[in-house]
Amino acid sequence: MHIVATQVDKAVVLKVSGRMDAENADEFDKACDAWSSKGSKNIIADLADLQYVSSMGLRSFLSAAQKLKAASGLLMLVGLHGLPLQVFEMTKLSSLFPMFESTQKALDSL
Amino acid sequence: MPEPFTRLKLPAQVQSVRIFHEFVRDGAAGLGLDASDLFKLDLVLEEILVNIARYAYDGGVGEVEVGYSAQGDTLQVEVSDQGRKYNPLEAAPAPDLTLGLADRPIGGLGVLLVKQIVSSLTYRHNDGRNTLSFRFPGHSTDS
Repeated sequence: MHIVATQVDKAVVLKVSGRMDAENADEFDKACDAWSSKGSKNIIADLADLQYVSSMGLRSFLSAAQKLKAASGLLMLVGLHGLPLQVFEMTKLSSLFPMFESTQKALDSL
Repeated sequence: MPEPFTRLKLPAQVQSVRIFHEFVRDGAAGLGLDASDLFKLDLVLEEILVNIARYAYDGGVGEVEVGYSAQGDTLQVEVSDQGRKYNPLEAAPAPDLTLGLADRPIGGLGVLLVKQIVSSLTYRHNDGRNTLSFRFPGHSTDS
């Protein structure tokens, strides 16, 4: 898994690619913590190149989203598709995250 | 006649999961699985193996064995350990999927995913071994 961060107006975009599994899933939560502690309220996770996510990844997304929400922020998901989307749907998590087709649409919603 | 099981035993740790992925993908090679099916097979194995790595030996060291057997157009898989007696199919209450973001418990989703992907998921305990077995269909179950 690779995470590339880009700071834009009103949010930080974390582009997550590859496989998010038990060995690396908490890196995402930690990246969100790091940006949150620098004052970023809203985080957009660009998941267009995420190929695989297990329940450990879901745990990381949930944990990050709950902390951002408690700080009056949002974790927004962009480009979720394929197996990762199915995993969110099978666990009924898809309705808990604001989802968008593109980073621009996520930004426009803020 | 069903094929005999091909088995691999490794330390029960998270770092073994990727090796088991390759091992079982080899067993599934003749089943015509597409990339999406292979990710699902990886997912099921990861969920079961991570549970064992974290809980079976109460933080100590131990081993876990994965075996597979191609049976017709499905792959029969068995995962066993010699840790404490533990049935993951009954042990945890099903997570409440209706709760909102703030209240949604973190965890408990792995077994739920396994149950939705595989068939004939069963647990048995004999001779000090926990064994989970399941059948993975040899073609996409997507509709």
